[in-house]
Formats: sequence, C-alpha cells, structure tokens
Amino acid sequence: MPDFAIETQQIKPGIRFVAVRGFLDAHTYEELDKTISECFDQGVHKLVVDLSRLDYISSAGAGVFIGNIGTAQDNDGNIILLNPSQNVREIFDLLGLTQIFTFAQDVDSAVRLLEK
Amino acid sequence: MTEPAREKIVVTNDTKFLSVVRDFVANQTQTNNIAPDSANKIILAVDEAVANIIEHAYEEQITGTIEIETEISETRFKISIRDSGKKFRPDSVETPNMTEHVKSGKKKGLGIFLMRQIMDEVRYVFKEGIQNELVLVKYLRTG
Repeated sequence: MPDFAIETQQIKPGIRFVAVRGFLDAHTYEELDKTISECFDQGVHKLVVDLSRLDYISSAGAGVFIGNIGTAQDNDGNIILLNPSQNVREIFDLLGLTQIFTFAQDVDSAVRLLEK
Repeated sequence: MTEPAREKIVVTNDTKFLSVVRDFVANQTQTNNIAPDSANKIILAVDEAVANIIEHAYEEQITGTIEIETEISETRFKISIRDSGKKFRPDSVETPNMTEHVKSGKKKGLGIFLMRQIMDEVRYVFKEGIQNELVLVKYLRTG
C-alpha cells in the first residue's frame, strides 16, 4: 500500500470531496496542495476533505489547509475537515487551528455547512 | 540507576527519509515503553526538526547528512539532531499569530512552534567548524 494517496470526487455541483490517506508530511504535502489548487483553478472553492484515513500529519501537511482556507473563503467557499483521528485532530489543537477550521462527522453535515 | 539507552541513525537531506526517521523514533519509544500519546508527539517533534534541517540547512542540490541520536532514561527522552549545514537558530523564530498566518496564506513556518509546544526543552548549539546540534527533551512521567 502506498504511504500517501488522494482521491477526489464531485459530490454536488460546486462541491468537491477530497479523501486523503496515509502520511501527510513535508514529503507528500505538495501533492495535496496541487490537488486543492486544481479545484480552485476549476472554480471549485467548497471542499470536504476526508481525514478519516489519514494516519499522520505534520505542520507541512496542516500548512496546506492553513495556506488555502483563505482563498476558499474569499471565493464564497470553505474547507470542511471530516473525521480526523484523535492524533491528527490533536495537531490542529496544538497549532491553535480548531477555532479557524470547521470539522464535520459525516459528508451530509459537511455539505450542509458548505451550502449555508 | 540504569544507564540511558542510546541509539543513532544517519539519513541524507531528502524528505523521503522522514518516514525512516519517524520509524526509528517510533521503535525507540516502543522499546522503552513510552506511552503512545507522548510517543506520537515526540515522533512529530523530531519529524519537524529534521524536515526543517532538510529545507533550510543545505543549499539545493547539495547532499548533506543528518544524524539523529536518542538517549532514553527513566525520566527523559532526549534527541540530539546534528547536521553540517547552515547555522540556524530556532530560538530566533517568533511564535506565529495563527489568524495572521491564515490571512496571509502562508503555508510554512510552523514546525518550530510545534516543536516548542510538544517538547519540554528545545536547545540549539552551534559548534564552530563542526556542526549544528539541536537538542529536544521530553520529560517522562514516572511512578
């Protein structure tokens, strides 16, 4: 199994589901950054990022979300983070990001938040 | 009192070796029965330190080495990280304002902050003509 994988899927017009699996670190973050940039380039700024199968995140990985959430919100969108494991969630806590990001427990609630 | 357990690994300055470094530290935490919550944080702090060295210590295209040595006793987990690249003082990096960080769209510059959040000691030593040494210490709860 690869150490890192991303799958994307359009779940509704203008809303993209991005599933991130494995280890998101200084070696792999550019791939996710590129995926998010491609969504923005296609005019999609509402993203549901599934972190449920993410085993590990470092500051380089969290930096992808920090660096892109502003662009999403400036374009009437957002990045909703879905179901991170306790370990991954803790890194967001340590970085003081839980006030900045919205977390959801399932896709339907994430979509509802994006459609508000 | 038993002698601290010491182990060492050397990697080159390529981010593909970060997983090797994490596995090395994870093995040390398991061998020494460190609680999983502390272990995960120690692994992350070392990852941040090594990633920082890979990014800043050596010019692009220059191959350099990074030595990671662990020293574990009953009361503390100490990691010494040595490189021969450019001098870099982590204590000169200010604590980021996260709201400003998000507003500016900045993606980097949080590793040192995270290291300080996790570890009880973060010490940098520059040894003239030899190398940089970053020492990270986590105190372990005993009893």
